[in-house]
Amino acid sequence: MLARCAREKPPSMAEALVVHDLSKRFGGLRAVQDLSFSVNEGETVALIGPNGAGKTTSFNLITGYHRPDAGSVFAFGRELVGLRPHDICAHGLARTFQVARPFGRMTVLANVMTGAFLRDRKPEVARERAREAMDFTGLSAKEHIPARDLTTIDQRRLELARALATQPRLLLLDEVMAGLNPAEIDQAVALVGKLSTRGLTIVIVEHVMRAIMAVARHIVVLDHGQKIAEGNPREVVADEQVIRAYLGTGYVHSAAPGDTQC
Amino acid sequence: MPKLRTSAALWLSVLALIVLVLPLAVPSHFAIDIFIRVLLFAFIGVAWNLMGGYAKQLSLGHAAYFGLGAYTSTILLIRFGVSPWIGMLAGGVVAMLASLPIGAVCFRLRGPYFAIATIATAQVLMLLFLKFRDFAWGAEGTTMPNLGNSPLMMQFDAKAAYYYIALVMLAIGLAITYRIERSRMGYYLVAVGEDEDAAEAIGVNALRIKRNTYLISAFLTALAGTFYVQYIYFIDPNTVFGFNISVEVALVSIVGGIGTLWGPVVGTVLLEATSALLQSWLGSSHGGVQLTVYSLILIAVILWRPSGLLGVLTDAYARVVHAGPVRAREASLDG
Repeated sequence: MLARCAREKPPSMAEALVVHDLSKRFGGLRAVQDLSFSVNEGETVALIGPNGAGKTTSFNLITGYHRPDAGSVFAFGRELVGLRPHDICAHGLARTFQVARPFGRMTVLANVMTGAFLRDRKPEVARERAREAMDFTGLSAKEHIPARDLTTIDQRRLELARALATQPRLLLLDEVMAGLNPAEIDQAVALVGKLSTRGLTIVIVEHVMRAIMAVARHIVVLDHGQKIAEGNPREVVADEQVIRAYLGTGYVHSAAPGDTQC
Repeated sequence: MPKLRTSAALWLSVLALIVLVLPLAVPSHFAIDIFIRVLLFAFIGVAWNLMGGYAKQLSLGHAAYFGLGAYTSTILLIRFGVSPWIGMLAGGVVAMLASLPIGAVCFRLRGPYFAIATIATAQVLMLLFLKFRDFAWGAEGTTMPNLGNSPLMMQFDAKAAYYYIALVMLAIGLAITYRIERSRMGYYLVAVGEDEDAAEAIGVNALRIKRNTYLISAFLTALAGTFYVQYIYFIDPNTVFGFNISVEVALVSIVGGIGTLWGPVVGTVLLEATSALLQSWLGSSHGGVQLTVYSLILIAVILWRPSGLLGVLTDAYARVVHAGPVRAREASLDG
């Protein structure tokens, strides 16, 4: 099984994020169970799985919104469990939310500036940084619009620009492409690719498989809170457990045993 | 936008000139009394607005700080002969100290739970001061010693003096708000008010920003408490810790426009002036009319203009000046 295969780590690649044996229960529901995975610096890793698999909960555990019952999250040489979300952001991990959460009463520019203030308390400097982030995400023309008036894709852009303005080293994207049309997905994929080439480490939760195949070199598959497979995209889509989780037992072909090895 | 800035400066100078000569032009004691109340409540409204407006933490317990300021300076004055000017600052510090534990408890609650908790704090303090018979005169309260005209002890023969003190306090409150609005703190405050979790995600320490704002808000509110009891020469727990004070300072901001620089001022002018004028015209002959009109204004604003009256004014102004509403002005937090 893929999940058991130790991943080969060339010594030159530093680990940006190491999640170890992370568990979280909500009452009787095991939302996340003994989840372990790691992300190398500069790598883009996708977290996939059916609805309710624990992807967003994992994000909330990593970024300090929920406290795990057990396990540890190590990022850039520091334990994150127990830190508050703003500390984790200051440490270089920025996240977006599945449902965009713009500060509706503020303009687009003010939204992004609020993110930029993390690194620079001077408004003029923050404004410059914010404009760079908006330029990057293609929001420049809309900087004076109140954020509540943005379209879905622009709200996602804003979410991304605001996160980028905090100058993160690791970006956690929670379904940034949900609700976008195919053309918009292509734009979003290009944007994520552009971020990756700038050297940013990215963890992305996504349902749009086309997008995942395009951006991620490494995929972690969750089901019922547990990791059921891990590997490169080609390996993962051929994995028996993954097919079973997504489509049901009837669709599993008797794949040749050698195919899914690491 | 240089054009807008010069016109704003022009309006501000005209306004400043009017309020400066107002007590000279209107010699009636009754009118000046109304003006003083307007300035004072506008000032507390401004202090409340930092917390309740920008950060949207609906506090209905600001009477706690008003009362602490009033009692601190009064106790210092009567028991120790300390000038209320010093007592005023001491009251501000006491209020700040009190805001720390109150905030630590209340900020863990959100929305209506926060509001209810703040109501409780003011009520608890009122009950405490009702029991402090030896030290703080209990339920009977006390009158200020009349020292004649002694500016150093914050007592004046001329009502205009109180007017100018209140005016300076309001100007300071507005200046502080103006500075905060344009700084990182202002952005953080609005962000926390809009969505605390999303603000945390981009590095905003929500608890710290709320605590710091609460400190400033409590300090300013306490100054108003001292001024008020010095002005009316009387103090008792019901006057300074009363729920009325908490509600009134929240209402003037809500009616005027929460989270805006001038909102509390506009709201106070409308509400205080209307209720004072109605009271004087109708006297006691039509008992409930004044409250009825007051309530009708509230209902009208909440139904038709939940964002406050200031929005109506700025929109109208924009329509006159630019021949078209400027929507982004409403959200002009981009400096």
